[in-house]
Amino acid sequence: MGIKILEIDQITKEFEKDLKNTATSAEVDSLNIKYLGKQGKINHLFKILPVKTDPQIGKAINDFKSIVQDKLSTKLSEVLDSAEQDTFDVTVPGFEKPLGSLHLVSQTIKEIETIFQKLGFVRRRYPEVETDWYYAEGLNIPKDHPARDDQETFYVGDNTVLTAHTSNGQLREMELKKSPPIKMINIGKTYRRQIDATHTPMFHQFEGLVIDKGINITHLLGVTEYFAKSYFGQDRRTRLRPHHFQFTEPSFEIDITCGVCQGTGMMHQIPCKVCKSGWLELGGAGMVHPNVLRNGGLNPDECSGFAFGWGVERILMMKSGLPDLRLIYSDDIRFLKQF
Amino acid sequence: MDIIISDSALRKFLDTPATAEILSQNISLCGPTFDRTKKIAGNYIYEIEAITNRVDTASAMGVAREAAAILTQFNIPAKFVNDPYQEKFNFPKNLSKQFHINIDKNLVVRFTAIALENISVHPSSKETMTLLENCGLRSLNNCVDITNELTLLYGLPSHIFDLDKLGAQSLTIRDSIEGESIITLDGQNNQLGEGDIVIEDGTGRLVDLCGIMGGQIAEVDEHTKNILLIVPVYNHKKIRGTSLRLQKRTLAAQLFEKQPDPELCLPVMAKAIQLIKQRSGGEASSSLFDYYPVPRPTKFVTLKFKWLNDFVGVIISQDTVVSILASLGFGGTIEGDSLVCLVPSWRYHDINIKEDLAEEVARIYGYFKLPHALPCVNLPAEPRNLLLETEKESKKYLSDIGYNEVYNSSLVSLSLIEKSGLDPSSFIRLSNALSQDYGYLRTSLIPSALENHKHNQGKVGGQLKTVEIANCYQKIEGRELPREISTLAMLSGEDYRKIKGEIEALLWKLRVKDISFKPSRTPPPFFNPAGTADIYSKKLLLGHIGSIKPAVLRKIGLLNNPMAIEINLADMVLKINRKYEFHPVPEYPPVLEEMTIDSRKSLGDIIETIQNTSQLIKKVQYINSFKGKHSFGISFGSDNKNLEQSEINTLKDIIQNRFKI
Repeated sequence: MGIKILEIDQITKEFEKDLKNTATSAEVDSLNIKYLGKQGKINHLFKILPVKTDPQIGKAINDFKSIVQDKLSTKLSEVLDSAEQDTFDVTVPGFEKPLGSLHLVSQTIKEIETIFQKLGFVRRRYPEVETDWYYAEGLNIPKDHPARDDQETFYVGDNTVLTAHTSNGQLREMELKKSPPIKMINIGKTYRRQIDATHTPMFHQFEGLVIDKGINITHLLGVTEYFAKSYFGQDRRTRLRPHHFQFTEPSFEIDITCGVCQGTGMMHQIPCKVCKSGWLELGGAGMVHPNVLRNGGLNPDECSGFAFGWGVERILMMKSGLPDLRLIYSDDIRFLKQF
Repeated sequence: MDIIISDSALRKFLDTPATAEILSQNISLCGPTFDRTKKIAGNYIYEIEAITNRVDTASAMGVAREAAAILTQFNIPAKFVNDPYQEKFNFPKNLSKQFHINIDKNLVVRFTAIALENISVHPSSKETMTLLENCGLRSLNNCVDITNELTLLYGLPSHIFDLDKLGAQSLTIRDSIEGESIITLDGQNNQLGEGDIVIEDGTGRLVDLCGIMGGQIAEVDEHTKNILLIVPVYNHKKIRGTSLRLQKRTLAAQLFEKQPDPELCLPVMAKAIQLIKQRSGGEASSSLFDYYPVPRPTKFVTLKFKWLNDFVGVIISQDTVVSILASLGFGGTIEGDSLVCLVPSWRYHDINIKEDLAEEVARIYGYFKLPHALPCVNLPAEPRNLLLETEKESKKYLSDIGYNEVYNSSLVSLSLIEKSGLDPSSFIRLSNALSQDYGYLRTSLIPSALENHKHNQGKVGGQLKTVEIANCYQKIEGRELPREISTLAMLSGEDYRKIKGEIEALLWKLRVKDISFKPSRTPPPFFNPAGTADIYSKKLLLGHIGSIKPAVLRKIGLLNNPMAIEINLADMVLKINRKYEFHPVPEYPPVLEEMTIDSRKSLGDIIETIQNTSQLIKKVQYINSFKGKHSFGISFGSDNKNLEQSEINTLKDIIQNRFKI
């Protein structure tokens, strides 16, 4: 039989009382320290009682110790279990955080930039107000060329315009780099004297330019297809049609299959209203005209290149199905907040 | 240019079993685009986009030539037939009728004419009427319809006059004189300027607005017995000028301004004579008049096979190259590793360099057959573009904390400039603005932002917060181009401290160094000088923050009083700290003590004074103010030890002493 030791009795009572008052795991942790810690009550008993002379005392303390250990560990489980059962109404609404919005054009530009970044294009920005040389003459559009009387260009002076395309970046980039290779994407604001469902006086274009030794038409096809599939989706296809621009030769119009009629040209047995026979125009492209390379200070016998210039809002509308370009330039917060 | 031709017209020159659908799909890939195909009774109507430098394809014959070349590549049997260039024509000689035509210099490339007699004018046959109507033209009578039909078929307009209505048997083709006018066949009276090409009939009357529309005076009608038929090619620039100025964009004008082939004049003339005889019984009464002052020299362009393969990106055999070019009418001889191509007369203007030939070969070979490759370019590393990064990061951060990003037009109205109190003479003005709303390039984004808030008044609950990042345009005296300055503008319905906290956080995130705010002495005119601060990084002024002048708010019609920030990002990025410095994390936690300061100084000055008292003051936080007394939470701390309370008290005394007067 065990012996009765006054000190152990006292501590046992104290422990039982403490245990009763314990409700949290942190409190269990402090009881652990209080009784079982290095400086704890039980270690203290070993010091003050004559354990060396009477082995029974040592045994009694050890028995008490294992009781304490057991009870604390049981208590801990109880406490954790009951904490688990503290329920609250999980359907209570969260506190609202102020949500702003990034404009659709910014989001689209970001997408474009990311896609071309993966292909190793450097992003650039070139002037929106530009001289005739970079805007037209240097791009192989002489002063008396019919392309000049399109009536679409805003003039700010006899020799300065608001750019109606981002192609002024071509000559600027050639001058900046002075020699191949060139691989840039110029995203910028452009302006035309037009306003209707598909035109606003200000819009955005992105202009790609790649120049190096041995650049050929298959590279233009590769980059176009990569962009179209990345931006519009893996199921979309592109095609090239012959076209004419003064600053590229040959020139192409790039089409992409219509997302509405899936490229069939028909919706419910009637011709698709969105596209022309299953195809939507993405924009123009071509191999840089040798005169343009020369005007940019490069030697067309030593390098070749391709360029394309497409509309940011255009691809956004093609993808999103927004019916009217003017909507994009609305400042109605109820519209802007949707994105 | 868009043309409309019917399937039956096309098949006059094209022998193929291909259906309308196959035709339109395949030709679009390699040649002119078939935008739409419409089925009508017994026929198809094609809407075709003829590429602007390819006037030779703006006709049934032209499309047929392309079609034959293209379909062959798709292994579909197809032959170009009834090629007028292959036919020989004999024109009547030594006939009695005489007429004179005087032609001034540089007005025509070629001018052919012939008189015909014993014409009987009546309505066209059903077949001709249907053909014209299907192609969007109106049938008039058997003679006029012939010229229109030939235009559709061959792409070269011709014209007939009632010979008896011409004043004398002597015509002059000349530049118009300022003040002259002509009533054209559409009944319109056209005021001519200097240099429109016209034909005068020898009695001072104008009978033709050349290349655009005939004059009413010599119109062919049911009484006409004798006619003069002309098949001209005019100076293209003059025709375009006249057509644009008079807004008469007739099919003839659109063709003549694109330089049709003068070698087509005689074939079309011969076809016309033949049809007039068939359909109206008329016979030539004069010899052929043919004025062709400068026949064009033969043109050769050389194409190296190796270069072609490199440029297209695939190897196309020499035989294929030669056969493709031959199918388009090019002649050629192989000389060594090159093909010397003889350019056909109808391609005289659009084929000039080897790249033009490469296009011909590649498109007929089929762009769709080419593989796709991504270019491997050894681009050297580029420096970071801090401005673009900053714009993107600012937009992202501000939209994350509740700002709505807006895109406003760079073009603003005079009215908005004036409402904002800005000086219109400092703006770049468009010389051909679209409307009053878009006349000037803006120099600040704030006026547009104020309008945005005005437009949203009453539409949304809560305080509106908008942000825009865009260029402003600063005129520079003596320079052709303005400075385009990337600018950030925020406009918030919340109070000053909130927006200031937001911009401080943004600037901290962007790592812009040494920011300070100082009361603004001369802010931009729409800012209220009583409540506006300059934002500096060291000594560089980055922009402004503050309230808007009540007068400006009233003019714009804004009922609340929003807070505005405008920052020059182009300058700001110069102050971005690109170095990363390491500071050891303090081992000794700071002690936070509250202090109340009684001072008339501005809060900014008070905080600066406290801050500068000792290096042991780690942070000064403003709490609030009451009757000129300001409470601050001040963190005291040392990197080397825990501060004693006595040391802190001493510091607090020193601080208080600095505010004793």
